[in-house]
Amino acid sequence: MPIPTIVVSGEGDHLALEGVLDIRTLESATAALRRQAKQEKLHTLDLGKLLELDTPGALLLRGLVGKGVELTGVRAEHKALLELVGSLKLNPLPKAPAAPRWRQTVIDIGKGADDAWHDMLDIITFVGRAASALGHAFVHPRELRLPSISRQVAETGIDALPIVGLMAVMISVVIGYQGVAQLRPYGGEDFTINLVAVSVLREMGVLITAIMVAGRSGSAFTAEIGVMKAREEVDALNVMGMNPMEMLVVPRLIGLVITLPLLTFYADMMGLLGGGVISLVQLDVSPVQYVDRIRHAVDGSDLFVGLVKAPVFAFFIAIIGCMHGLRVRGSAESVGRETTRAVVKGIFLVIVLDALFSILFEKLGL
Amino acid sequence: MVAARSSDPIMTARGIVNRFGRQHVHDGVDLDIERGEILGIAGGSGSGKSVLLKTLTGLHKPNRGEVLIDGKPVAKISPAEKASLIGVLFQQGALFSSLSVAQNIMLPMREHTSLSPEDRHTLAAMKLELSGLEADAGLKYPSELSGGMVKRAAFARALALDPRILFLDEPTSDLDPLTASGIDALIAQLNRNLGITVVIVTHDLTTLFTICRRIAVLVDKKITVDTLEGLRRSKQPWIHEFLHGPRAQGAMTARKESHGNG
Repeated sequence: MPIPTIVVSGEGDHLALEGVLDIRTLESATAALRRQAKQEKLHTLDLGKLLELDTPGALLLRGLVGKGVELTGVRAEHKALLELVGSLKLNPLPKAPAAPRWRQTVIDIGKGADDAWHDMLDIITFVGRAASALGHAFVHPRELRLPSISRQVAETGIDALPIVGLMAVMISVVIGYQGVAQLRPYGGEDFTINLVAVSVLREMGVLITAIMVAGRSGSAFTAEIGVMKAREEVDALNVMGMNPMEMLVVPRLIGLVITLPLLTFYADMMGLLGGGVISLVQLDVSPVQYVDRIRHAVDGSDLFVGLVKAPVFAFFIAIIGCMHGLRVRGSAESVGRETTRAVVKGIFLVIVLDALFSILFEKLGL
Repeated sequence: MVAARSSDPIMTARGIVNRFGRQHVHDGVDLDIERGEILGIAGGSGSGKSVLLKTLTGLHKPNRGEVLIDGKPVAKISPAEKASLIGVLFQQGALFSSLSVAQNIMLPMREHTSLSPEDRHTLAAMKLELSGLEADAGLKYPSELSGGMVKRAAFARALALDPRILFLDEPTSDLDPLTASGIDALIAQLNRNLGITVVIVTHDLTTLFTICRRIAVLVDKKITVDTLEGLRRSKQPWIHEFLHGPRAQGAMTARKESHGNG
C-alpha cells in the first residue's frame, strides 16, 4: 500500500486539500494548515479533491469550522461523516485523580499493614474451618473421599518423585563439594560425610522437598480451586448442598499430609546417595565404608527431626493453597494473582516454621 | 434495500478449506465482501463461524485457499497496515485488563502512529463518544464495566485506527435486549456515517434481520450468501428452519418496524 499523502494547495485565504486526510496524514495536514494560518487567516477550504477522510480528519475539519473556516466542495460520501463528528459533544477525558508520591507511599504502607493483618486473621480462620471439616470427616469416615485423596497422593507425590529426587541429589552434591573444599585445609575432609548426612537428614531433605511441593502442588491447589471458583463451580457445590471445604479442601489437605513425609524420606535417601557419590569421587571412600560412616555420623533422632516437620509443612502449604484458591473473585487474572501469592506465602511460611522448629529442637536438646 | 453492487469487493475469500485432524470444518468456502455493506455470518453451533472469522482476519491459516484484502493476500500484509485495515470486536471484548479503557483505545495509536499524547487523548475521547460511552468511562478498568459497556469499549478500541473493515464476533450475545438493540443501532450508524464495512458473526436473528444487507449461512461445510429475501426462499432444510422458526417470526416483526421507520 502506498504511503498516503495530503497536499495543501491554493493561496491566500482560499486553500484546498488534496489526497488522503486520515490518522496517518493528520500531523502533516495540521502542520501545513498552521503554517498557512500564520500568514493569513483562512477563509475557505475546498475538499473536492479529498479522496479519503476518517474520523480524526473529520475532527480536524470540525476544529477549522469552529474557527470560522468555510468548507466547500464536500463530497457526498464525506458529508455523513462530517455531520456525525460535528454533532459530537467531545467532552475531554477526565484526569485520573493522583495523590502526591509521599502520600501514596504512606497510603501503600498503611494498606500493606492492613492487608497483612487481615491475611493473618484469614489464615487463622481458615485453619479453624479446615480443622473442623477435618474433624467432621474423621468422625464420619464415610464422608472421607478416598478416591479423591488417593488421586491427590498420586498427583502431589508420585508425580513429584523425579524432580524431588534430582534436587536432593544435587543439593547434597553442592554441600559435599563445599565441605571438601572448606575442610581440606584442616585435614578434616572426612567429616564431609558427617556434614552431608546431618544437614540432609535434619534440614535440607525436608526443606527442599517442602519448597518444591509448595511451588508445585500449593500453586496447583490455588489454580484448580480458583478456576472452579471463577466458573461458579464452587457456588454450584454449595447450592447442591455439598460443602466445598469437605469436597475440595479436606482431600487435598489429607493427601498432602500423607505425601510430604514420604517424599521427604525419599529425598533423604536420595540425598545420602548423592553424598555417597561425592565420597567415592572426592574422598575415595567405598560405598561399604560410606554406609558404615553414616551409621556412626547420624542416628534415628536426626531422621526424626527432619521427618516430623514434614506433616506440619504439608498442612500449612495445603491450607495456604486452598485458601487462596477460594479467595479468587470472578476473573482469570484473579486466579493468576492468587496463585502467585499462595506460592510466595507458602514458601515463606515453610521457612519461618523451619526456624521455629530449630529453636524448639534446640530447647528440647534433640 | 436494493443497493448498487460495487464490482470490486473489499475482501475476497477463495476456496477456503479448514480441517482439524480428520474433521473438515470448511470445504471450499468462497465469500466476497462488498465495500460498505453489513454482512451477517450465521450458522449452527460448531459450523465453523468463528474459524471463518479467524481465517478472514488472518489469525488462522487455512489448509487451502486464500483471503485477499483489496486484492492482496492477507498473510502478506504488514502488521501496521493490517491494523489500519481491519478492526475486530472479540466476543468477550478482549480489552487489556491492566489498562484503562482510554489506554486500551490509545494503545494501537501509540504503536502505529506518531500522534502526540494530547491528540491521542482527544481521539480516544471521540471514539468513546462515537461508541456511546461517556468520557468518564475512559478512566475505568475493564473489570469495572458492565457487559454492554465492555462491548462498547471494545468497539471504541476496534475503531481506534479507523479500520476499513470491522469484524464483530457475537456483538450482542450476553446482552439484555435493550442494550443489544443499542449495539445494533450503533453498528448501523457507524456503517452509514463512517462508510465502514462490517462483518458480523452472530446467532442474533434480530441483528441479522434488521441491519445486515446480506447474510452468509454456513451449512454442511459450505457457505450460502444472499439477501434475507433470497435466503427465506431457500429449500435447504437448516436455512429454512433457521429463518422460519418461532424466533424468526419475532425478528421479522422487528425488521418490518425498523424498515418502516427508517
